[in-house]
Amino acid sequence: MPRDLVVEAHRFEALGTSCSLFGVTVSRTQLLQGEFWVRELGTRITRFSDRSELAQLNGAEGGWVDISAEMESLLREALRAYELSAGLVNAAVLPSMLAIGYTRSLAAGTSVAKLEDVRPAPPLTDILVLRPGRARLEPGCGLDLGGIAKGWMADRLAARLGPNALANLGGDLRAIGPGPNGDGWPVGFAGVTVMLRDRGAATSSVRRRRWAGLHHLIDPRTGLPSQSGLEEVSVVAATGCDAEVVAKTALLLGPGLATAYCAAHAQAWWMS
Amino acid sequence: MRPFLLKLGATALTLGTTAVSALYVTAHLKNPSAPLQPTVLASQQGGALNGVTITPGVRQGDIQPVTSTYAS
Repeated sequence: MPRDLVVEAHRFEALGTSCSLFGVTVSRTQLLQGEFWVRELGTRITRFSDRSELAQLNGAEGGWVDISAEMESLLREALRAYELSAGLVNAAVLPSMLAIGYTRSLAAGTSVAKLEDVRPAPPLTDILVLRPGRARLEPGCGLDLGGIAKGWMADRLAARLGPNALANLGGDLRAIGPGPNGDGWPVGFAGVTVMLRDRGAATSSVRRRRWAGLHHLIDPRTGLPSQSGLEEVSVVAATGCDAEVVAKTALLLGPGLATAYCAAHAQAWWMS
Repeated sequence: MRPFLLKLGATALTLGTTAVSALYVTAHLKNPSAPLQPTVLASQQGGALNGVTITPGVRQGDIQPVTSTYAS
């Protein structure tokens, strides 16, 4: 029985949620650098700041915009998520987000909803064009990278921390390496503990971020908050970003198709 | 003579292709009893615990988790 190794842990608030980092043979400084990386990148990809890279792309009215390597990678991940989810995970739901009143961080409060302005989201592949170092968005369209960004960042952050680490950014997490005792990282998953080694996990839910009968999880087919019949889905998948995409897709599919989708794309799942 | 040889050759080629195809198909019959994908199998065989479906690719533990996935 291998002896438990010492786990260094660090918790902080960022991206509008709770984050935690863990590592074996990882220094406190490395974890703090990880927090700095999250905060710095978060300011560049948030839609709530006019000065962020994402806001500049959203406001370019069809013009080409220079983007960083991280933003390019994240936008490519958004396109991949669109394909993996058959269009259900669509970053182009920003106009719907704004129409339902989610115009700023929920801590700052919501705006008055204008549901008459809601439209189905356009196909992401039709409105987003990527070139090395540049991106272009069709006029009148907007991106919200939301959950994809958290999963994507958790994947990269865990890798940055070392060969035996875990990054949890608001429930989207990635575990790399054998964990503290060689069996994987023990992670709470819908009431049970699963040992994750080189895997990701995520939960998609409409039970949080609710206001006035609305919630933040938009169904791109209608442009309205999802009413699929599922309220929460948790998933274990190959990466944090995959888990996020599968969980959200399953939730949007609803109880009739979610199990089959999870069986094809996830290693563990729970839904209610 | 030459047209006859061409016809003979074409006929032989056709028959040969048919025979080889038949042999290939016979040797590569789909097995109706082949196992389903492990993930599907596990979910059908009741790999669910407290409503959680866990496939053989993920191990369960009985120790305190360091963190958890949660709705945010």
